[in-house]
Amino acid sequence: MTIIIDGLRYLAYILIFPGFLFCFLTGLLLCGIDRKLVARMQKRIGPPILQPFYDFFKLLGKETIVPAAANKTVFLLAPLVGLAAQVVLQLFIPVFQFNAFHGVADVIVILYLLLIPALSVILGAASSGSPYAGVGLSREMVTVLSVELPLVLVLLAVAKTVGNAIGTGLCFSLTDIVNYQIANGSLITRLSMLPAVAAMLLIIPGETGSHPFDAAEAETEICEGMLAEYSGAPLAVYKLSHAIKLLTLTSMFVALFLGGIGGGVMAMFTGVSPVVAGSVGLLLEILILFVLCVVLVAICVSLIHAVTARLRIEQLFKYYWTVVTGLAAISVVLAWYGL
Amino acid sequence: MILLNYMASFFLIVLGLYCIVCKYDLMKSVIGLSIMDYGVNLLIITIGFNPGGTAPIYTFGELKPESFFVDPIPQALTLTSIVIGACVTAMSLSLVIKLKEMYGTTDTHEIRRLRG
Amino acid sequence: MMMQHYPILAIMTYFLGAFLIVIFGKARAIRNAVGFLATAVPLCLLIMLVKPVMMNGEIIAYWMGGRVPAGGYAIGIALEVDALSLFFGLLIATAVFAAMLYSFSYMSHDDNEPQYYTLFLMLCGGVMGLVLSGDLFNMFIMVEILTFAAVALTAFRNTVFGALEAAFKYLVVGSIGSSCILAGTIMLYAQAHTLNFAQLSAMIPGNLNVATMVAYALLFIGFCTKAFLVPFHPLAADAHGAAPAPVSVLISGVLTKSGLYGIIRLTYILFRTMNLGSVQFWLVFLGSVSMFVCVTMALAQHDFKRLLAFHSISQIGYVLTAAGLATALGVSAGLYHAMNHTLFKGLLFLCAGAVLHETGTTDLDKLGGLSKKMPQTTVLFLVGAFSISGIPPFNGFASKWLIYQATYQKAVESGNIGFVLVTICCLVTSTLTLASFVKVTQSVFFGQLPKEYENVREVSFGMRLAMGLLALLCIVTGLFPGLVTSFLTEPAARAVFGANTYINAMMGAGYAEGFGLVDALPVSFLSVGVWSPISWLCLLMIMLLAVAIVAVSTKYDQVSALARTAAAEEAAAAAGPRYGSGSLAEGKYELFFGGEETVFSQVGGDDMFWGFKHNWRHYFSFMHNLHSGIVNDYSLWAVIALALAMLYAIIVL
Repeated sequence: MTIIIDGLRYLAYILIFPGFLFCFLTGLLLCGIDRKLVARMQKRIGPPILQPFYDFFKLLGKETIVPAAANKTVFLLAPLVGLAAQVVLQLFIPVFQFNAFHGVADVIVILYLLLIPALSVILGAASSGSPYAGVGLSREMVTVLSVELPLVLVLLAVAKTVGNAIGTGLCFSLTDIVNYQIANGSLITRLSMLPAVAAMLLIIPGETGSHPFDAAEAETEICEGMLAEYSGAPLAVYKLSHAIKLLTLTSMFVALFLGGIGGGVMAMFTGVSPVVAGSVGLLLEILILFVLCVVLVAICVSLIHAVTARLRIEQLFKYYWTVVTGLAAISVVLAWYGL
Repeated sequence: MILLNYMASFFLIVLGLYCIVCKYDLMKSVIGLSIMDYGVNLLIITIGFNPGGTAPIYTFGELKPESFFVDPIPQALTLTSIVIGACVTAMSLSLVIKLKEMYGTTDTHEIRRLRG
Repeated sequence: MMMQHYPILAIMTYFLGAFLIVIFGKARAIRNAVGFLATAVPLCLLIMLVKPVMMNGEIIAYWMGGRVPAGGYAIGIALEVDALSLFFGLLIATAVFAAMLYSFSYMSHDDNEPQYYTLFLMLCGGVMGLVLSGDLFNMFIMVEILTFAAVALTAFRNTVFGALEAAFKYLVVGSIGSSCILAGTIMLYAQAHTLNFAQLSAMIPGNLNVATMVAYALLFIGFCTKAFLVPFHPLAADAHGAAPAPVSVLISGVLTKSGLYGIIRLTYILFRTMNLGSVQFWLVFLGSVSMFVCVTMALAQHDFKRLLAFHSISQIGYVLTAAGLATALGVSAGLYHAMNHTLFKGLLFLCAGAVLHETGTTDLDKLGGLSKKMPQTTVLFLVGAFSISGIPPFNGFASKWLIYQATYQKAVESGNIGFVLVTICCLVTSTLTLASFVKVTQSVFFGQLPKEYENVREVSFGMRLAMGLLALLCIVTGLFPGLVTSFLTEPAARAVFGANTYINAMMGAGYAEGFGLVDALPVSFLSVGVWSPISWLCLLMIMLLAVAIVAVSTKYDQVSALARTAAAEEAAAAAGPRYGSGSLAEGKYELFFGGEETVFSQVGGDDMFWGFKHNWRHYFSFMHNLHSGIVNDYSLWAVIALALAMLYAIIVL
């Protein structure tokens, strides 16, 4: 009996929260808020906040064209695998004290799981046979390369700081990182973590391919690059996983640096029955997470989008391997010497 | 006497390496390999050599604590090593012939289609 | 007691097979049967040794002719199989078996087939003899046999572009390496008057002096040439480019392992110098440089096999780095990666061979779009590419992940921030590996199909079987990292740290302790990370199912759309290649495409990653000029490496 209940619970985790349905709603909502914010910053009215939902369902209804040069299986399968991997990735990122799947993957694994959605877009694009997609995937790979190095450094800095504090020397478990912050305050308040925070804020737009760092899909020169040949449902799936990526990265930021904010939530319910505390607390935590994600999106996606122009791909690479990597490296060194 | 042997063997090894590194001709590379090989062989023999020792040929009855002979193992090793050296030379020479046929030269600066 | 004889039987089966093929190899059926048996039997023999050696921790000591040590001196020639030897032996036997299966159809169009199989089996016997040997001079002989066979096999297709040249370079630099091993051996003999590994391991560590350190440097450089570590990597690239694909599997999967085995045996057991910080630095530095230089070299290549060759050395760099950490976790991770390297590299070379077999070229700028013609090869290649780039849940990820843990843990334990750089180097190299495999995927298997390859077919079943075997092993070892570490790599790592057991098994109990030797490190395999591939895969599968169900049910007419495309494709095939095949059936897209002929346009290998290459252009052109292809230069590098190693050994140790 318990097995069935456990199974159902896990299924609910996978399909509803923090899995598919949650990702679907929150991701697209974040995307809509982003578009609205950019528009307001540029003194436009902008689309309604629910526009990404309309777009998604509209695309689902359109017909799917497979180009003659394409490998059909890979072309159609790649978006699905990418979406699935993206959602599974979200399962490993704790929402403050709530963690659906503890003990499956640590930070280094998550770093690699982040590659899978990017890789699935690249493979899908490659299989389409279009030269635009070829140029796009080449640029996407360079973007991934550029972002990887600072991201690694940020994760190492966090792992070392938390590891020093909890006495194991290093800590790769995202759950432990969050729990440590709940007990001792967020990492963002540490002086040594500030450069890493700045680096991570710059990594988020790079990973999601939003404006100054979107050489890979540059609509005006290479027709959205990798998505050039996609239409209908596969395109909708790609748009969806892109939106979820926004959620994943911002909630990862929250888990890495702002985990302490959730500490007060459960404390408010001491003395209340655990069921109420659990459900209401969880709802509150989700709400806080969402607000934080919106704030992060506003800062590092919308604001930067509104005020900058697109970088060329080699400028992008240089920027990430000098400025952002430098910031993250400062953090690693500071964390290493325990500052 | 023994010191001279050691010096000669190291001289031969260095000479062989010099020949391989600085001579831009396939044949000379092969010669360098052989010279280096001779140097190593001389080194082996020298290590097993005891001044005044006899040849290490005894039956069990003849072997006494006071019998004084050169170390037999390095000699066995040298034989093996000489055979191997001869094979390497043969093999490299055959390759040189083929290379000469194909490239029309034995200059190492011409034979560099694989690079970068 | 039959078990005692398995190692010698395994070695002799290869050599016997070689001689039988010389005599009876004229007929194809006999040749193939002998080849199959000669590779399958040793594999079975070694698998039967797994239980006693790996699980029960026995060490098999075999004295040829029954000449056991007398008076504490080893006079006979010995074979000694501990978990480390058996681990490498198993890798070799597996790779050789797959390569043999593949050869049957791959080599069937060549002349001189008997000679090929003879050399092939000689090479296998040489490597197997090397890893199972318990005698330093025997190791040298085996090194010579395998170098010789490898050179001959490299030049086997001597009409192929660059084959002779590659073979000659390999022969010259390889001979320098072999001579180094011989000189090192003999210098050790001068100090200890024995050639037996166990006895040397007992006598040398207590008596380190200038002569033994020079011998150490000589042996080390000798084994480096066999493993093709920097600065010997150009040889590997040249040799792989020219050799037939199964031979590439042997050279990268098998020959490099013999070098690695030599280095590990040398540093951990023979000299026991791994507790010195300077030796750790040496190995880790060499490993990291190999890993990074070779991956960047690979990015700049536009030949499929040459690219793979550079990657091969890059992965060997990982293994050496991990082994150089001198922690149990590091060694175990390194061995795990060595195993994975054999599997995925073998698979990738066989895929490259399949492409060469069908299209006649491995030039990345000429190929394209083969996934439509060779779908199964494409899938197998993708498995290999994902494995080597460390995409979860394939095996490359499991071992790389352990390596990251090990390097970072080492950094924290030793408080040395330098090891953090190593971790970062490993991670960046891994991404660069992914980048270059994206390049291969795009320019060989995806993209548009050039006209001349319209008639390419899928390769024969035998070749796919060999590739499938390796791909299956890649997936299995990736999904069950716990089993691999507990049954294969951890016993081997324990053997690495248990030199006393090794010595005593050979020379009699208490022999090692008589020299005042103690096994220093407590062996612990603890790592702080968590990774459970099976749970992840379950999650992914459920999610994929959910996504697929949603995608299919909300819509709409994907099925009919597909059907329409299929019909349209037939029409398109009749009308010649056109853009957007959906258009022809209905004509409603004529507005956009006008129905004109498509222009062939493919983003080839050299056009990829411009943004990256542009920033690194000085580095790339410097490296390009450095790899001049002149045999003198490569020999010079070898001599410089030797001189540096000797200086380092004398001054620092």
